[in-house]
Formats: sequence, C-alpha cells, structure tokens
Amino acid sequence: MTYDLIIVGAGPSGMTAGVFAARKGLKTLIISEDLGGQVNWTSDIENYMGFQEIDGQALMEKFEAQVKELHLEEQLTTVTSIQKEGELFKVATIKQEYLSKAVIVSSGKKPRTLNASGENEFRNKGVSYCATCDGPLFRNLPVAVIGGGNSAVKSALDLSGYVSEISLITNNGLTADNILVERLNKLEHLKKYLSHTVVEIKGSKSVEKAILEDVHNQQRFEISVQGIFIEIGLDPNQSFLGDWVEKNEIGEIKVDCLCRTNIPGLYAAGDVTSVPEKQIIVAAGEGAKAAIKAWEYLLKNPESEYLH
Amino acid sequence: MEEVIVYTTPSCPWCHKTKTYLKEKGISFGEKDVADDSGAAQEMIELTGQRSVPVIKKGGQYVVGFDPERLENMLH
Repeated sequence: MTYDLIIVGAGPSGMTAGVFAARKGLKTLIISEDLGGQVNWTSDIENYMGFQEIDGQALMEKFEAQVKELHLEEQLTTVTSIQKEGELFKVATIKQEYLSKAVIVSSGKKPRTLNASGENEFRNKGVSYCATCDGPLFRNLPVAVIGGGNSAVKSALDLSGYVSEISLITNNGLTADNILVERLNKLEHLKKYLSHTVVEIKGSKSVEKAILEDVHNQQRFEISVQGIFIEIGLDPNQSFLGDWVEKNEIGEIKVDCLCRTNIPGLYAAGDVTSVPEKQIIVAAGEGAKAAIKAWEYLLKNPESEYLH
Repeated sequence: MEEVIVYTTPSCPWCHKTKTYLKEKGISFGEKDVADDSGAAQEMIELTGQRSVPVIKKGGQYVVGFDPERLENMLH
C-alpha cells in the first residue's frame, strides 16, 4: 500500500500537519517515537495563543486529542532511513518499510551531547539530560550542571531543592536571561566554572568525578560529583536523511518559505528546519504550511490517485 | 500475576507517558514516587544501578525509560 503522505515526528509541527492533511482527505501515516516531542519537557507555556498559561504536556494532550479525532494512522517507532525511489519515498523504521508519495519531516531536536569521554558509559548512571525528571534521585549529593543558557540555569534552580552542591560549568559564560542569573546567584552551595569544559567523566559503577579544563590556560583539575546534568543545547533529528537532502551548517534541514526542501515531494517543518524561530506556535504554523504544500504537490503529481 | 511497579518523579514526562501507556493497555500497576519516598529511591537505584526514571518493574525484570517495545516484551 502507498500512502499519500508520511509525517515523521509528532511534536507541534507534525501533529498540526496531520490535522491539515486529514482534513484534505490525504491518506496519511504519522511515524514518531512519541507524541508531543520536546514540548513534553516544557512546563509553563505562556505564549501559545488561546491559552494564557498551560503546561507543555497538557497542551500536547490537546493536540493529540485533535489528531485522534481524525483517526490518523500512527506508528510509535523510530525512522531509520528515507529514500526516494522514482516518484515514491521509501520510509524505513526499525520494524518495517512504508511507501509514500510525499513526506513531511518534522522530527524536532534532541539534547546535544558533550562528547566527553565517559559520557555514554555513565548515561543514566549519573549522567542525565533531564534535571526535572532525575533530580530527585540525587538528594544530598554533589552534582554538576553543564551549560550557561536558560535551560542550564533553570536546571540548576530545579536541582537546588534536592542536591548538596551544584557546580555550574560552561565554556562560554552565562547567556541565560538576567532574571534567571539573579536567582542562580542567590543559591547557596553553588560553584561556578565559567570558562571550563568537561573533558572526562570518571567513576566505577556510577559517576564520581569530572575532569575540567580551563579554556584559557588548558589546565586540568578534577571535581567530585555524583550527577552530571547536560544542558548545552539541541541538535536536529535528521540522521535518517542522507546527504541528498540539503542542510545548513548546524545540520538543520534547509527549507524555503513554502517548507520545501531541495527534493520535490519532501517537505520539512518545525525545529528540525532552518526556520529561525524555535517556538511552539511557529512550529505548528509551519506544520500547517507543509501539509498544504504537500497536498498541492500531490494534486499536481500525475501519479497521484488523489486526483480522482 | 506479579504486580507491576512504576517508579516515578512528579515532573517527569516519560513517567507520565508510561502510566498513560499502561492504562491504555489495561495493565494495573502500583506507583512509587521516588522524589517523595527515599526508601523507594534507594530500592530503585539498587535494582537498576541507575539514577533515572521511569523504571517499570515486574518480578525480577525491569525496564528503564519509556520504551513501548521492551515493555510489551516484559509484560506479555
């Protein structure tokens, strides 16, 4: 069987694309690891119109309800590759392959890794990418937070209720909003390393130490920590797309203002794309545009059974 | 049948997803909030050797993280 449209990823852009596609009558499949994506990690949202204040998960449950109402087909799994064969796209997951006439990639972003030695080995054994999830498991223990942006400082503030000591480590100073930095500076048991990188994470069964390097003089020293929370930004989820799809210098899929990639029939929307603002409302709008453009592509495509 | 236990923290999205998944599948489970119950936190860390939620336990088996495929294998 061939779908009219496969949507990869089900955050705000993917789910919105799904709703628009279903309303156009496209035979649509959504493939995603989860529903809601990055928004699930966001607590209070105060800039999504229609909701003065809403929790991220609650907003995504509303999106999900709207998608489910339209009986869109969903597969909760991981896409491993997308290839174009003739006029059709072959979308492979870890389970099986699907064919589609058009594809929208709306796979969002994921937390960037440090690439420090020991990071993978100690993942979940002290190394965490979710302070709000795992913070309570580090009660009365010394931890490090890596990063100097809003997410890192918010994580440090969240953790301060549980842990015995926080080392904030960034090689680029504090770039977080002033209001957050002011709150950070009021924390007791805070150590700041503002021109340092983590070069190695060490331990036996779980994290015990981090080796830091001063970026100015390359001097190395170790600190004792049992948790390391990494908040150094996000990378686009596009490893399933080959070089035939153009990306920008930070790996985002290049799209024009019509959500078109360099490949006819392949559209992209939301945070995975080169569209500058990474906001829920922008992602949702881009998803709508991508679905409408995919529908127009299918109308013009002579192979499309959608015409009859 | 052995009881299913889910170890959670209150603001963890994957914990929430896991509970929704189990409810949708009609699987009854007990919940231990490791933010609130340090005994449960210790028990979970000793079981898995990891400091990460959610953990879903059934008998001697467990799954760390929300992973529908591994959960299905463990629960059936």
